Amino acid sequence: MISNLAVAILNGIVWGLMMALIALGLNMICGLLYIINMAHGALYMLGAVVAWYLIELTGNFWIALIIAPLCVGVIGILMEKGLLRTIEDKPIMTIICTFGVMLAVQELVLIVFGGSPRRIDAPITYCFPLFQLQYPLMRVVIAAISGLVMAGLWFFLRKAKYGLWMRAVVQDREMAVAIGIPVTKVYMWTFALGSALAAFSGVLAATIVSVEFMMGREVLIMAFIIVIVGGMGNLEGSVLAAIMISLIQGVGSLFVPPSIAMVFALAFMILVLLIRPQGLFGE
Amino acid sequence: MEAKKRKPKKAQGLLTKKVSRRDFLKTTAVGAAGLTLGSMAFTPFTYGAEPPIKIGMFNEYTVFATEYGYWMGKVGRTAIAKMNEEGGIAGREIELFDYDTKCKPAWGASMFKKMILEDKVDMIMGSIHSGVHKACFPLAEQYKTPFFSGGAMTYEFTGKDAIPYYIRNHSHARSQAVAGWKWGFDNLGKKWTFLVADYAWGHSLAREFGSRIRAAGGKTQEIRAPFATADFVPFLQKVDHDTEVLFTVFLGSASLAVLRQTVELGLHKRLKRFTVICTTEGIGQKVVGKESAGAYYIEYHPRHLDQVPKELHPYEIPYRKACGVDDDGNEVGNPKVAIAGSHMWSMWVYPYMIKQGIEQTGWKNSKKNADLIKAICSLKLKAGPWCPVGDLDMREQDHQGFADFYISRVEPDLKLKVLARIPKEKAIYEPEVDLRKKL
Repeated sequence: MISNLAVAILNGIVWGLMMALIALGLNMICGLLYIINMAHGALYMLGAVVAWYLIELTGNFWIALIIAPLCVGVIGILMEKGLLRTIEDKPIMTIICTFGVMLAVQELVLIVFGGSPRRIDAPITYCFPLFQLQYPLMRVVIAAISGLVMAGLWFFLRKAKYGLWMRAVVQDREMAVAIGIPVTKVYMWTFALGSALAAFSGVLAATIVSVEFMMGREVLIMAFIIVIVGGMGNLEGSVLAAIMISLIQGVGSLFVPPSIAMVFALAFMILVLLIRPQGLFGE
Repeated sequence: MEAKKRKPKKAQGLLTKKVSRRDFLKTTAVGAAGLTLGSMAFTPFTYGAEPPIKIGMFNEYTVFATEYGYWMGKVGRTAIAKMNEEGGIAGREIELFDYDTKCKPAWGASMFKKMILEDKVDMIMGSIHSGVHKACFPLAEQYKTPFFSGGAMTYEFTGKDAIPYYIRNHSHARSQAVAGWKWGFDNLGKKWTFLVADYAWGHSLAREFGSRIRAAGGKTQEIRAPFATADFVPFLQKVDHDTEVLFTVFLGSASLAVLRQTVELGLHKRLKRFTVICTTEGIGQKVVGKESAGAYYIEYHPRHLDQVPKELHPYEIPYRKACGVDDDGNEVGNPKVAIAGSHMWSMWVYPYMIKQGIEQTGWKNSKKNADLIKAICSLKLKAGPWCPVGDLDMREQDHQGFADFYISRVEPDLKLKVLARIPKEKAIYEPEVDLRKKL
């Protein structure tokens, strides 16, 4: 029992950190730009697909991990400039628009990449013993990278000029414009950063799950749950919510069928919404 | 005057030349003969022939299970084109109508209805999606339209839920279990854990295999996971420690993930992995990766040409060539696309079954659909160019077909090596219904 509990906790934290990274990009876009980005899962998938092509080309996972998010970040800029800029203050419109983008991206990937799932080999294949099982080191590395990226983002938002501008725009957009902050640019780069984060987590996740045109759909639902539970626009809240939900699922599955454990996570979300509608850490 | 001057001499001569009655008849006869020969050379279907036989086809081309849809569609189109080249059916051309089910029952049923009411098809074939099939059953019954299953694996469709207009020439969960459980029980182990997708397909395979294992004195455990599970760690850690055989049933990316993560957790060292080929059809073991090495599969037709029984090679080789499949079971010119080889042959065989049925009954239109279905469901096909999978017997009672099965293991070079061929007779079970009086 202790061995199973240890595996469940470790795996819960690992998945929690990875999910937090996915949700972080979504939360930035939702919280800062008021864009309900239904295409976030598609951008996550696009990161994995671009990485697959890059790995085919270069044979190097780490190069793909850097370049694929940059490519998707550029797509994010095009999306923001070309489609979303005129409707940024209309959340319902953004849902419809980004939903359309999601479908278009999925179908485009289906045509170009094909319908069959593909795999990206983990660059680290070592598995360390863990009681009666073994556990892949790559998952722990993914969790560590996710943690580092989130810490970097936290510092960026707190210490960098651009981060300060981003927070200023969230607090009071009119005042930010009045004091000369280039709000349009802040919007554009925020969307690009959110998109790149989605792609980055897609590349990392692709070493565990398979790359296919529908891989973003399940992730999107979970990412929205995390954003809602953590509090819209609250990045620390997203991280804690992601880890809590993953742990509830992981540990819960030791005592009930794992499918039912997912219900626990959803029940947790409902409970949070009843008690704190603004989310665990939302204001 | 100017224009007249510019006319070439030869043309002027022709226009002014007097044409005799003999010249006219001669020229007309030569022209008519030329046109007739020309039409015979390029198309076997001449003006005035009977109208074409309309066959509808629908498959999962988008949304999900597209690796199946791609091959089912390709093989179906190739078979119809070949049959037309060979003169069609009873001198009639076959006209094909091809649609996407989008892997959605409601959409699939609307396409089914469209084919019947708008395209006026005579019969419909295709789709591997049981939900789509189930949604189309009332329409097939209402419009008395023969419906040939592409690859739906729910055994009840030719069991307790069978309808007289449904025909299935391929295997399903029950026939797979009847054919494969004994080999697994004798060769792999007596204690089985079923880790299956939490929907009808997974449940039925666990039930069909499990009941036979338990009846033979074995022990079973069942774990259900959501259809699109990405992380199997919570599920794999629940596998009993004394499990000898882990039987997994997932589709697409989840099937890759479960094989991969079984190895990551080290479970492959203490148990044997067994599954049906449906789980990685159209994906191929190279994509699944080295983690699939050592896994056992039930195949319904070998993927690699050198694993196909030698006596079938004269039929298998032209079949593969026509469909653009290489010896390793990949698409010619696109070796990264693996075939859905255990499934797609159904679409190759159906046009031939239809041809046999029409020729036997003199079928002209839907008025004789009942006779046509009876004839098709009584066929005992011999291995041949149109039945490259070997002999195939249809059963009249439940409209179910039976062909040979194969047990294969993934070798270290990721090739599926056939270990045993299970004759179709060993897959036969008692029919649950008798549809003969319902037509």
